[in-house]
Amino acid sequence: MTQRWPDGDTLSDPATRDRVVRAAQAGDAIALSDLLDAITPYVRRLCGPIALADAADAAQEALIVVMRRIGSLREPAALYGWVRVIAVREAVRVARGSSRAVPAELPELPAPDDPALAADVADVLDRLSPEHRAVLVLRDVDGLDETEAGAVLGVPAGTVRSRLFRARRTFRRAWLGERSTR
Amino acid sequence: MNWPIGELDEVRRLRVLHAALPGTTLAETVLPDPYDTVWPVLSDLEHGFCAYAPGITAIRVTDRDGDRMRADIRDRIGLRAAFDVVLRDGWCVMQSRLVVFGMAATPVDGGTRIGYLIGLRLPGIHRYGRLASALARPFARGVLGVARRRWLSRPRDA
Repeated sequence: MTQRWPDGDTLSDPATRDRVVRAAQAGDAIALSDLLDAITPYVRRLCGPIALADAADAAQEALIVVMRRIGSLREPAALYGWVRVIAVREAVRVARGSSRAVPAELPELPAPDDPALAADVADVLDRLSPEHRAVLVLRDVDGLDETEAGAVLGVPAGTVRSRLFRARRTFRRAWLGERSTR
Repeated sequence: MNWPIGELDEVRRLRVLHAALPGTTLAETVLPDPYDTVWPVLSDLEHGFCAYAPGITAIRVTDRDGDRMRADIRDRIGLRAAFDVVLRDGWCVMQSRLVVFGMAATPVDGGTRIGYLIGLRLPGIHRYGRLASALARPFARGVLGVARRRWLSRPRDA
């Protein structure tokens, strides 16, 4: 999977990243603190739009899983791809387990350039299920294509693609229809 | 486009660090004073921190580079150890060859939430970490309880 380094990544230097990850795997608390510093902003960016009001719980849970499993990361260069999978899945899990209402019938996803998205992202997201929010985040925040997003979510690329295709049309109709009645 | 970003305060981050370190234990309390009053005192390792941390009699910072430090810490029974330290707003981690400390603070309704982490760094700690954590738990709570009592009874400016 494509490795994309988050903006402001403090572990962008490969030698530094290798050293910090290896020390963290050995249980060095200072290295674990450094690792936490590096990945926390990325985990917050992923968990925020997926878990919404539960984002703090989701980010905490995702980071706990990452830090507990850091010993299983064989290749430090794969750090962010590995963190992405854990964070997105934890965010979906926490959001689904939340007592907040989830739409019984999924509305559909807007296109990246849809004016509805720019108007009120939080409102748009709140109308989607956690799984649909995850697709949207992986595509628009992380810039993944359908194949990559499918790999993160554990579903075939075709499922992601068809979901996106059908989603855009239905969502836009519902959104614009509602806005015109305000 | 403004995507919502999840919040994660420093006490939550200390919970994460605790989860990653077998053999550590974590205690939390809320001090009934604003963060801007509490953190400058606790983060002054050589003076403020020592006044509230039972068992530690002296901390001397021997080297400093930004938020990284080296410090000599002496305890009540005269033992002395060199610690690597990361210290910045709301966050402090200290580690010697055998011991790890952590401290975090975040503003909450009614005051400042403080997290305090302590544990041993011993070979094979991952195998008996749960037992070590359970044994250390009363100690961590005791330390934080003493610190809280000292904080509440400290002299205040008129």
